[in-house]
Parts: sequence; structure tokens; C-alpha cells
Amino acid sequence: MAVRHIVNPLLRHRLMPLLVVLQVALACAIACNALFLLQQKLVPILAPDGIGTPDRLVMAWNIASRGKPWPTGRLLEVRQALRALPGVSAASVAGSLPMETNAQMNGEAIAEDTHAKAGDAAVYIGADLVDTLGLHLVAGRDFSAEEQSIQYHGMGINDSGPAIITRALANRLFPDGHALGKVIRIGAAADAGRRTVVGVVAHLMSNKFDADGGNVDYTMLFPGVPGNWPMPVFAVRVAPGADVERVRKAVDATIHRELGNEMIRGFEPSIQMYGDMRAHALAKFKAAVWLLAGVSVVVLIVTLAGIMGLTGYWVQQRTRQIGIRRALGARRRHILRELQLENLLVVGVGVLLGLACAYAINLWLMRHYELTRLPWIYLPVGAALMLLLGQLAVLSPALRASRVPPVVATRSV
Amino acid sequence: MFDYYLRLALRRCRQNLAMVGLLVLTMAIGIAATMTAMTIFGALAGDPLPGISPHLYVATMDAREAVDKDNPDYKQPDSWLKLGDAKALVDAHRAPQQLALAQSLTTMDSPDGKHSEQAWGFMAYGEPLGMLGVPLRFGRPWTAQELAARAPVVVIDSDLAQKLFGTADAVGRSVLLGGKPFRVVGVTVPWKPHTVFLDLQRNQGNPQGSNDEFFVPAEAALDAGVGPFTSGECGKGAPVIGFQSAAVQHCRWLEVWSRLDTPAQVADWRQFLANYADAQRAAGRFVYPPQPKLYGARAWMTLNHVVPDDVRLNLMLAGAFLLLCMVNVAGLLAARFLRRQADVAIRRALGASKRTVFAQHLVETGILGLAGGVLALPLTWLGLWIVRLQPVSYAEAAKFSPGVFGALLLFSLIVGLLVGVLPAWRVCRQPPALQIKVA
Repeated sequence: MAVRHIVNPLLRHRLMPLLVVLQVALACAIACNALFLLQQKLVPILAPDGIGTPDRLVMAWNIASRGKPWPTGRLLEVRQALRALPGVSAASVAGSLPMETNAQMNGEAIAEDTHAKAGDAAVYIGADLVDTLGLHLVAGRDFSAEEQSIQYHGMGINDSGPAIITRALANRLFPDGHALGKVIRIGAAADAGRRTVVGVVAHLMSNKFDADGGNVDYTMLFPGVPGNWPMPVFAVRVAPGADVERVRKAVDATIHRELGNEMIRGFEPSIQMYGDMRAHALAKFKAAVWLLAGVSVVVLIVTLAGIMGLTGYWVQQRTRQIGIRRALGARRRHILRELQLENLLVVGVGVLLGLACAYAINLWLMRHYELTRLPWIYLPVGAALMLLLGQLAVLSPALRASRVPPVVATRSV
Repeated sequence: MFDYYLRLALRRCRQNLAMVGLLVLTMAIGIAATMTAMTIFGALAGDPLPGISPHLYVATMDAREAVDKDNPDYKQPDSWLKLGDAKALVDAHRAPQQLALAQSLTTMDSPDGKHSEQAWGFMAYGEPLGMLGVPLRFGRPWTAQELAARAPVVVIDSDLAQKLFGTADAVGRSVLLGGKPFRVVGVTVPWKPHTVFLDLQRNQGNPQGSNDEFFVPAEAALDAGVGPFTSGECGKGAPVIGFQSAAVQHCRWLEVWSRLDTPAQVADWRQFLANYADAQRAAGRFVYPPQPKLYGARAWMTLNHVVPDDVRLNLMLAGAFLLLCMVNVAGLLAARFLRRQADVAIRRALGASKRTVFAQHLVETGILGLAGGVLALPLTWLGLWIVRLQPVSYAEAAKFSPGVFGALLLFSLIVGLLVGVLPAWRVCRQPPALQIKVA
């Protein structure tokens, strides 16, 4: 089966194949970029947040002090009050926690020895976070009671001391696998804090979801309570067997009683189950995923319909020629294969064009928006998807063409 | 003739309803997606105060003093200034109008203690109502004397007046701010810019904002213990945020806007600003080169990414999708027209010129485009409705307006004609004799 048979007619009647090529190229460029955007929006939704038994974790956030920030002693008193509530097995106060996007603390983590870097790692400074959040330690130890009782003069992000980091961050900074005991500098400044890794947890999600080129699992835990920090977050773990909703209400009452008069006016604190807080924080990502998925599907359907319509016409135009070929001995499957191969060629040209476009668009978007490079894997996957779509579209017209009886050739000539 | 083409086109559309339906639907989806994205983008990226904001400029400069040297969080000169600097810039009256302001969230109580409302508004130095074009319903703005005398006066909007006093006309009554009585001198209509552009640093990620329910002279408010929502940059090096504090004497917390109508005024104000900043630097107050700059309202919004990237990306996505739909429809139309080559050939042989054949086909695609537009109307409405349900900061911008309807019909007609040009040209190019023979 010579390809020339297929290419020559395409070159002679250029309009139809040209329109198919154009459509495929456009669809391919749109689909690749839309799917890439979609995948980025999916990252925080799919990433493991590291929280153990999240349905027994109550979070109190959207709390801010009027005037000066609360002294850390005051925050620890509130924490003690929360800890003393019936049905509570652990309580923490921290500067920021997963899913709290209003109050973020981030720092560049730099391995002291190798200068390996991880930009925008989230920093959670808080008391007893491993217990309260139910984190899974995979190496090293939790902070000691002595380390936990540290008093910072400032926020604590520039102080030196111990740190617990996520496995992802450990692998990034210390690829040799020995993170324990190593020192991380927080930022490149000369007086930057130096943190010694004492433990590694499996996962803990950053609260900066769109970390540029970073990873939502790059997180560091510091002990103590941040000073001079106006937006504390409380986390309360409900003991096994205790009624979760009752504890949540008790936490709500305690926060209002303890801090209500000193909170900024006009902001209602949120006392929620962790799951609700997570849903709230990720809602706009979910919305974007639905939107982009919808767009991608509609793009593919429109392209499918377009190729089908065009191929249908293109085949119908050649009914007589197909009849002649059948009369001359071509078998049904020859006709079928030929049309499929033709489609493969035309769509292939469109795909090549489309992939170039997709790449160019991505480069342009990278220049103007906070987007990362399109991973190369999208190109073959996008190509395969479009070729498959093309084959799907040509199937019905090609089957119809292959059923053209040879006798057609004798008509109206 | 047009009338005849119209009837021909309608007759032909009836012949293959499934195909026509597919064409119209494809066009409608493309148009609806684009209109939805354009509506949202237009609502966010347009002038926040039409007719007024194009003349408004905000000043930025590096006004850091010795106490907050080496603050790593201070990346570029911003718009916040200390009260003293803001007052000096406003009091010089070098522009036709100028104003210093900072956003505040505060509690307003009625004197009888029965009503208490949280309200967003502005602490201002200057005359905000006239400069921002906030329409008054009752009363008057505060006077220059009241401003200079730090008189406890306030302008509230009619919603707040209704909530506090049960009537919109609250002029002459007192409200408690920070526990101190302030006399209501004016009542405005409920007001806010279409998009947030004033005090953007206190409004990150909230492009739609909320109504600005009160205006109060900044110093009178501070005297009553009412401060800006956040204290701004308080020169301690550490990026500490304080909320609702009136102890802002060491902070940069106000931004200065001016109304400049002509390029000469802009140049004059820019020079004045540079002179002021240089003088402060020479006096040793500003420890860094101040790099004073003026930004127009739109440029300021662009610099601060007021329109979320997602909105721009969605607009581009919708545009690309419309292009795909147009290519698609052009292809289907070409197939549809070329199937009728024989008819066209007969018409040509009977004396129709290429131009009339071309026109006839354009009329047909124009009608299809319009049909697409009519179908796109409910689809756009649906799209905007879906966006309004989303938990996104710009949901409120997704409003259907009559202007959109007109634009949509015009747009769909243009799309229809554009899409038809290629197929129509193709079909009228056929040599008539050959086609008749084949038929």
C-alpha cells in the first residue's frame, strides 16, 4: 500500500485536509495547556497533607489580635485551657498551619553543607504539633520538652534551634538520605537562623499552594510559639471516644471567652473541623479543576465532531473513486485501512503543528504568568490523545466508505 | 435581492436540521464561553470609577527611615506614607485635588447603644467625596476648617444610616466611633469602585471589595482611638502586622492620590513629588534613594495584579476555544456548501455572477451566526450563573448586563460572517461548466 496514493489526493484538494490540520493543531495546543493548568490545580488537592485521623482534629483560625499581637504567654494560657477541655487529647498553638492561607510563614531552606536549596518552604512554628496534627515520624524524634519551651524574641523564623522537616524536603536538601543532624539555613542572609534537623515526618502540606517551582510538601516545623505574631492558629485533637461536635463547641466557647475581647472587630473566628477547613481552602482549586476539565472535554468533543463532519464529506466526494477501486479489486479492509492511514497522516501533521504551538504558548505564559515549564511528557501524551481522537472520528465515515459496493463505479460515469 | 437570499438560506437550513444544529451549537458554545470570560474580565479590568479614575494618580516612594533599614520584606518603594508626609503632600495643593487615605474596619454605634454595626470605610485627609465622585444624598462633605480643626465629623452611606437610625437622612445625628460621638454631616448613596484600586495593600486578593460605608477625617478618628485596618509598616524591621490600632505615629499607613487632568499637571506634580522626596532625603530622614513615582489608577492595578491571573488565562482559553469553534464551523460550512456545487453551477450558468453567489452564501452564514448568538445568550447567562456560584474572589463580577446582549449579537454576526468567508469564496470559485457536467 503506497503512501503516495494517499498523499497525492491530499495535495490536490488542499482545503479539507488543511482545515482538519488547523483544527487538530488548535485543539492540541489548547488541550495540552488546559490539561497542564488542570494538573497544577490538582496538585494541592491530591497531595497528602500528612494529617493523621483528620476527622478528629478541630481547628480555630481567622483569629487576629486588635492592636498589638498577643504575648506568647497569653497564647500558651489559651492552649492550656483548650488542652484541659474534656475529650481533648492534645492542643497546639502555632503561627500558621496547613490550610491556613491568611497567615503564612515561608522561608528559603538551604542545606548548610551542600547549598542545596528549596525555595518557599512553609514554616510552622508551634507547640506539640507532631502529636496534635497526628504526624507520622519516619526518622529521628519529636522535639523534647525543653526544646518546646523555647521563648523567641521575634517570630522565631530567624532564630536557631532544632527542626523537623518533611521527607520530601529532606530528600531535596540531602539527597544522600542522611538528613538527621544536618543544618539548614533559613534564607541566605548572613545572620539567618540555623536549624538542626532532629526528625523527619512522612508528609506535611505547605499552606502556600502555588509555590513557584516548589513543592507543596516542603515544610519545616519549629518548636515554641512565634512571638509578635498577630494571627495565631489553634489545633485541638479530640480524644478517641469523645464526641467531636461537643469538643468543637467547647473550643469555640473557650476561644471566644479567652480572646473575644481582644480580637479585631468585624472578623468572626472560624472554629471548624479540619476537613471543613481543608474544603474551604481548596474550594477554588476544585472549581478551577472542574472548569478546565469541562473545557478540555468540550474541546475534544468539538474537534471530534469537526473531523467527523469533514471526513464524512471528503469520503462522500470520493464515493465513485472508491467504487472504481473496489471494482478493480481493492478489498473492504484496504479501503478502511487507507482512510485510516490518511487520517493518521493529516492528524499527525496537525499534531506536530499543535505541539509546537502548545510549547510556544507555554513559553509565552511562563514569561507573563507564574507558570512553570510544560513537562515534556505532555507532548507525547497529547499527541497520542489527538491521534486516537482522529482515528475515532474517521471510523464511522471509513466504515461507510468501505461498504461502497463496486457497482457504484459503473454509475453516472 | 437580500430578501431572496434570506428565504433561500432559511429553506436550505431546513434541509439538514442535524447539521445546522451542530453548526449553530458549536458557534454558540464558542461565543458563550468568550462572552462569559469577557464579561468577567471587562468588569474587573475596566476603569474602577468611569470618568474619574483615569485622572487619579497614586504616589510611591521609598520613605524608609533609619529604624527600618535592612527590612528584607521591603522589596520596592510602595505607596504607604507617614501621616506627616501625607499631610505635607496634600496641604501643598499642587494638584487640582489631592487626598490621603487608608482603609479602616471599625464599629459604629448609635448613641443610644441599641445599634452597633461593623463598617468598612476610609480615614482620609483632604476632601474624598468630591475627588472620588461619591454622590451625596443628604448633607455636605466636611469643610477644610473641620479637617484642620480635627473636628469629629463623619460621612456615612445611606445603608449604614438606615441600620443605625432607621432612616437614611441621618444628617445632624451622632454616631459613636471608638466610643466618641461624631456628627454625621453627610449621607452618601451606597458606593464602591467597580474594582478595588484604593489602598490595595490592605485589599490583596479581593478585587471586588465591599461598600465603603463611611469617610472620616483621619486625625479626628485617631483622636478617638480608631485606626486603619492594619497599621502598615511600623519601622521595626520585623514584618509585624498590627490590626485596628490608633498607635500609628511611627507607621507608614496612608497613601496619597491626586487628580491630574493634563500632562502638564502630571509633570508638575511629579516634579513636586521628586522635590519633596529629595528634600526629605537631604534632611536625612529617608535613608534610601526615595525613587518617587506616579502611577495612574489602571497602571497601579496592573502592578498590583488586581485582576487575578486566572481571569486573564480563562479569557485566553476562551478566545482560543472560540477560534477552534470557528475553524470547525468553517470546515463544516465548506463541506455543506461544496455539496451543493451543482446548484451553484446552475445558478452561475444562468447568469449569476461570482459576487452574487458569494453574497448569497454570506447571508446564509450570517444567519447561522445570528442563530448561534441567540443560542449563546442563554448559554452565556448559564456560564455567568455558574461562575457566580464558584468560590472565587471575582464571582460578583459575573453579572449579565444588557450591554453584553448587544455586544453578543454583534459579535456573533461578525463571527458568522468571518467563518463564512472562506467556504463562500471556495464555492463561488468553481467553474460552472464542469460542475453541471458532473451533475
